Amino acid sequence: MNMKVDIKKFTTSIFRDYLVLVAILALILVTMVVEPRFMSTQNMTNIFRQFGPLSLVSLGMTFVIIGGFIDLSVAGIFSLVCVVTVSLIDPIGQVPAMIVGLLVGIVCGLLNSFLLLSSGALTQAEALFITFGMSMITGAFALFITGGMVLNFSDLAGNFALFTAIGSGTVGLFPISLIIFSVALVILHFFQSKTIMGRTICLTGGNKTAARLTGLSVNGSIMMIYALSGFLTALGAINQFSRTTTASPTMGKGFETNAILAVVVGGTTLKGGKGSVLRTLMGTMLIILMSNCLNLLGVSSFMQNVTKGAILVIAIWLDNRKPL
Amino acid sequence: MNRNTLLQSAGKLISKQKALIAVLLMLILMLFTQTNFYTPFNIVDMLNSSSILLILAFGVTMTVISGGCDLSIGGVLVVSGIIAIRLINDLNMNIGLAILISLIFGAGVGFINGFLVVQQKTEPFIITLGMGMTLTGLAQQLTNARPVTCDNEAFTMISNGKIIPGVNNLVVIMLVILVIAHYVMRYTQFGRSMYAIGGDYEVARYSGINVVFVKWATFVICGMLAALAGVLLSSKLNSGSSIYGETTALIVNCAVVVGGVSFAGGVGGIPQAALGLLVFGVLQNAMNMLNVQSFAQILTQGLVIVAIIWLDSYSRKVKRERV
Repeated sequence: MNMKVDIKKFTTSIFRDYLVLVAILALILVTMVVEPRFMSTQNMTNIFRQFGPLSLVSLGMTFVIIGGFIDLSVAGIFSLVCVVTVSLIDPIGQVPAMIVGLLVGIVCGLLNSFLLLSSGALTQAEALFITFGMSMITGAFALFITGGMVLNFSDLAGNFALFTAIGSGTVGLFPISLIIFSVALVILHFFQSKTIMGRTICLTGGNKTAARLTGLSVNGSIMMIYALSGFLTALGAINQFSRTTTASPTMGKGFETNAILAVVVGGTTLKGGKGSVLRTLMGTMLIILMSNCLNLLGVSSFMQNVTKGAILVIAIWLDNRKPL
Repeated sequence: MNRNTLLQSAGKLISKQKALIAVLLMLILMLFTQTNFYTPFNIVDMLNSSSILLILAFGVTMTVISGGCDLSIGGVLVVSGIIAIRLINDLNMNIGLAILISLIFGAGVGFINGFLVVQQKTEPFIITLGMGMTLTGLAQQLTNARPVTCDNEAFTMISNGKIIPGVNNLVVIMLVILVIAHYVMRYTQFGRSMYAIGGDYEVARYSGINVVFVKWATFVICGMLAALAGVLLSSKLNSGSSIYGETTALIVNCAVVVGGVSFAGGVGGIPQAALGLLVFGVLQNAMNMLNVQSFAQILTQGLVIVAIIWLDSYSRKVKRERV
């Protein structure tokens, strides 16, 4: 009985986003007809493999946007984590380096929330500028650590098997990066729908005053939002440099806008209070499939940027026209 | 008691004139260094290099004061410059006509922004961010992600020529736009309506102001000024490339807020915006003079943004709590 209700809830929440779903299906159908290579196993693994960096960053961004804020510092934190982790593999070993990398993400996220809370900045615009400043600061540190150079795995003396496994290892047909993403998705979905903190984040985005008067810890939820965003960004960064086996201090460029794109296209409203990680899954799926299809159809990467931007604009427009 | 009020008024002064104090502080600090900072050439150069951003800032100020914001200016900046150069190169078009088409393009983008933000009531910053992304992609497509240069020498003289000896035309154009924009904002009905709309949209509507038209117009003006800035930038560098506008939009919007234009709308003005931009212009010039490394320059810019925006929202929090 209980199971049945859950399934019903799940399907209705999917059907509310039927627009994105229809878009995904249409995209798959059209590409399947025009380009039969789309269904090959090779291409499927290729698609699975892309559920790495951007999807993880978008999961973090989902909570920030549900909470009614925005996080542009993702770009800087992403680069900083890449550079710090790779440069620490040799001195302290791969596992401690990874832990330090994740900690850097969390600390930067907490710093964001500290700046917002201490100044009483509660609007999206203020969060936008403060996190943009933070993005510059963390990006500058990334530049400082490497001196502007690119770090290569091939120059490392130590053991980096762990990162190779994350970057290119597979369990059966599924790449490890996809498994990491799926585990994160399940945990975060549970966190959002079943825990008090998760519900508090939704309420914070909906109405801060009401949340505070209800006795919920709004400040705690804001800290949680940014720490989570920082942590998932760090996880995404580790995924990214493991796959490319290089770490450059400007690696995170563009991730902030793409993550916002994925979240918003998925159907999470920018006004805050409404949305879920499942919607973000849909948004990232659409973006990944779209870039894959456009690649197969031979569209230049520049035109792909145009379509991405246009889809963002249209998605927000349609989202805005929906009655709340 | 007396000391307290003195402290309070000092605090108020600092929180109101953050940008001015920052600029003055930098100017005073530079007095004690052995550089060429205080030479007429450098001062003109400083203005020259901030002019493009200043022109962008004037348009952005209008949208911000009427309660919007525009992050698509980076995209408009690069595309309009490329359009002008491509038209002159490929079609042998008259320079004036090419610039006019660029400006119309900018106005068109502003018109679409205005339609989406004002008429359809979408969130301005995210929709203009998407528009900026689209336009940057378009710029890459138009140039194949390589810089293009203009064959016609006369095109570079628009910015680099010197009508007044010693001063580039770019600075003159910037100053003319500053004066016009300030006049419009301060002394015309249109400008005053912007403040009213930014202060309270509904009240402005009930007062009989054509809110949709005025707010829409600010977006069109902003797009057009961004296109003008793009043409002037390409003329100054004699090249158009998709990479120029990468962080421009956010920097300019930040600088406008740093100068004292409230992001909530209705507060500020053209001089404040110019001052906010000068903070970054003077900072960059001073750091270049002192041979500061590039990472430290980015770091300082980030710190300045965080510090000033933090102070801005903190002073608003204090005000809220007092009420």
